[in-house]
Amino acid sequence: MINFDPLKQESNADVQLSRRDFVKLSSLASLGLFVGANLVTGKLAKGNALLADSFGPSVFISIPKEGKITIMAKNPEIGQGVKTSLPQIIAEELELRWDQIQVEQAPLDRRFGAQFAGGSTAVKTNYTTLRQAGAGAREMLIEAAARKWNVPLNKCFAKEGVVYQRDTQLKFTYNELAETASHLELRENPPLKDPKDFTLIGKAIGGVDNQKIVSGKAEFGLDARPKGMLVASVERCPVFGGKVKSIDDSAALKIAGVEKVIKIEPTPDPTRLVAGVAVIAKNTWTAMKGRRALKIEWELPEGAAETDETLQSHFEKNINSNGEILRNDGDVDAAWSNCKKVHEAVYEAPFLAHAPMEPMNYIADVRADGADLWGPTQVPGSAMGLAAAITGLTPDKIKVRMTRVGGGFGRRLMADYACEAIYLSKELGKPVQVVWTREDDMQHDFYRPNGMFKMKAGLDASNKLAAWHIKASTTSRYAFRGSSDPSYKTEVFPDGFPAGFVPNFKMEYLPVASKVPRGAWRAPGHNITAWLDQSFIDEMAHLAAKDPIEFRLELLGDEDKEMPYEDHGGPFYKTSRLKNVIKLAAEKSNWKTPPPKGVFRGFAAHFMFGAYVAEVVSIYMKDSNTIKVENVVAACDCGTVINRSGALNQIQGGIIDGLSATLNGAIHIENGKVKEGNFDGYKLMRMNEAPSIEVHLVESTESPEGLGEMSLPTVSAALCNAIFAATGKRVRKLPVNLTEETKL
Amino acid sequence: MANFTLDVNNQSLKVDVDPDTPLLWVLRDELELKGTKFGCGKALCGACTVHFNGNAVRSCSLPVSAATKGKITTIEGLSSDGSHPLQQAWVELDVPQCGYCQVGQIMSAAALLQRKKNPTDDDINSAMSGNLCRCGTYVRIREAIKLAAKKGGKS
Repeated sequence: MINFDPLKQESNADVQLSRRDFVKLSSLASLGLFVGANLVTGKLAKGNALLADSFGPSVFISIPKEGKITIMAKNPEIGQGVKTSLPQIIAEELELRWDQIQVEQAPLDRRFGAQFAGGSTAVKTNYTTLRQAGAGAREMLIEAAARKWNVPLNKCFAKEGVVYQRDTQLKFTYNELAETASHLELRENPPLKDPKDFTLIGKAIGGVDNQKIVSGKAEFGLDARPKGMLVASVERCPVFGGKVKSIDDSAALKIAGVEKVIKIEPTPDPTRLVAGVAVIAKNTWTAMKGRRALKIEWELPEGAAETDETLQSHFEKNINSNGEILRNDGDVDAAWSNCKKVHEAVYEAPFLAHAPMEPMNYIADVRADGADLWGPTQVPGSAMGLAAAITGLTPDKIKVRMTRVGGGFGRRLMADYACEAIYLSKELGKPVQVVWTREDDMQHDFYRPNGMFKMKAGLDASNKLAAWHIKASTTSRYAFRGSSDPSYKTEVFPDGFPAGFVPNFKMEYLPVASKVPRGAWRAPGHNITAWLDQSFIDEMAHLAAKDPIEFRLELLGDEDKEMPYEDHGGPFYKTSRLKNVIKLAAEKSNWKTPPPKGVFRGFAAHFMFGAYVAEVVSIYMKDSNTIKVENVVAACDCGTVINRSGALNQIQGGIIDGLSATLNGAIHIENGKVKEGNFDGYKLMRMNEAPSIEVHLVESTESPEGLGEMSLPTVSAALCNAIFAATGKRVRKLPVNLTEETKL
Repeated sequence: MANFTLDVNNQSLKVDVDPDTPLLWVLRDELELKGTKFGCGKALCGACTVHFNGNAVRSCSLPVSAATKGKITTIEGLSSDGSHPLQQAWVELDVPQCGYCQVGQIMSAAALLQRKKNPTDDDINSAMSGNLCRCGTYVRIREAIKLAAKKGGKS
């Protein structure tokens, strides 16, 4: 069973290569056997080789005798910008201008280290290794020049693709040095540049594929077309966990262009294959048409009657029972009687769909002697591991190519659609592309877990938070995939603020079982907990009659602390950095100045995955029930910024995504299946609803953090707090529905 | 199956497909013009936007049989080398994230600039609200349309 967790890729033995396999695999790679960087230890391996006409100091870099230098982009590009930002790190240390390089997407190849998109980890985990890769190559080029001139190393320096000899007019371009450099030993631990000398890191660099994207020439998964490819459209059991009882495919097979109908048996692990019937045709439309002509009888599983209401009743029962205690500071139960004011509220969050713009699709060409895979995935390694499992081929026989990915958001951490393509191609003996419709995508997603949360807090005589109790119940995604980790993991965070700042603090958790598939949805767990914590703190600030920002700062205290934090982004977070973004957002939004008449503001701040974000949302009411989000001011500390343009884009996008989900996002379950089918039922924010966004990045030399997810969670609470300011109504059930009564 | 002659990017092209085949799939699967994207199949997301007689239309919902009597322009025909002012503005402002919806966005924006040289925010809202961007690049799309308009709009 493959239970992929990007943060635990090492433990996910998707591809266990033997030494022999590794050598074979290496020889397959396009760049020949160059130096591999072990990204786990961060060390560059020794040795190098000269390809016919280029110097490849590591698997990441190829310097030809003539022409542009190629830098490989190791990870899948899902819109998070790593195809630009990771090569940017290499080019910095290699002393190149951005216009001197071209970027190529790497295939799946172990020598690149872990290749996946998840947890906003790419920049953070690759930063040092990629700097070393660039610096190591630079040092070799300098050494090559020194040898040619027969001068000491310190007489030479590199700049913009040229090695110069100091105090002379002498110089060699990198191209001219390629051959000499290729005979040199790679230096261990090459010197890294002083960040103050950076010329690329921290600058705004446009996406490397932008020109292709705007010309329609960028290759997404759906655009890859191996010769002789057929297209499959799969009708899956609409009720989760069902099976095929009978198929009448006579009408489908009569359609010209339909080649075959194949039944798909479900695997015990629902993250691989679910029951379905595939229609294989010569093109996409014919496959879809053929599929509509199928007559299928389904055998429904137990629990087919699962609905929102049944889940609701489980949640209600849970939040009124004792859960597993995840944190217990002081004595919450005894504290209430000493509190001057006690407040309690129940919050609810729905299932969410990922709905990336490019529907799920994957291409497999499985032959007796090997397989080729193409497609949009956040986890090419999982696709390969699953292909090995399904076909019986050894990993060295499986080639995985990465296309651009038309959005991920966590959906493509699951390789179920790749399994379909691999299985069907194996059955057919031909290359086949599985193409999902939007309805398939909406109804067979791995949804953001839904949940219910009972919040209770108390203020002491000086209106300070004295007690905080959260009882959480969700349809845990770890429980869904049968993880050995506890169900609460990535659902709630026992070390998250305000834990550690309230003398009496208790966190309890109880999972709810469901057949509805669940998975990671951008900023997993945080996309609910930041909303809960930052909404409820706002409730308590209001109860204390204090300014919500002052209330938070008071809670964080004057003294700067390192707060232990065991989840992803830890092992601790710094209160100085959290306070700093809070103050920055307050300052930039003119928080202390009342907003113009009719405009209402809300605030929230959150730490996750190593980054600190504070946001102020300004809204006005179009009528008593309709909100227009006018503006969002965000302050963000993600440490060293790599690509300023990419960073701002990620923060802006996360804010839109968070607002969209808060205002409209909900997947409903009716009779064991998903009710929503397309963008008419599952609404996303559109241009006319989008606010202006102002982002302020903290200038920092701290180690870099990712940014793909961090701006999203905060905005939900900031929006809901603004709604309270505008209407006096607390939004405790998402998505926002102001026509529903809420208790104050 | 039936034969159709389409005027695509000023070329007369013949295809032999089912009359109910949406233009989108004719472009992508038959003519190998893959810049036009599939997003929803129901004219709800705009990823498949092309121009039909100069108007932005959703090619996923236009059957090929209804597309023979007009000029079709796809992203491949908007400019020969990606140099339309909107394409340049998109690159200059680094609009794309995943990039999948951007062709549709640009085609909708190009039809808008044909009608209005200097669109207001309201014009942009009404012309662009049929195009979803799941990555949330709306702020930059708006800026890029304004930048392109400032630089002369029409190609």
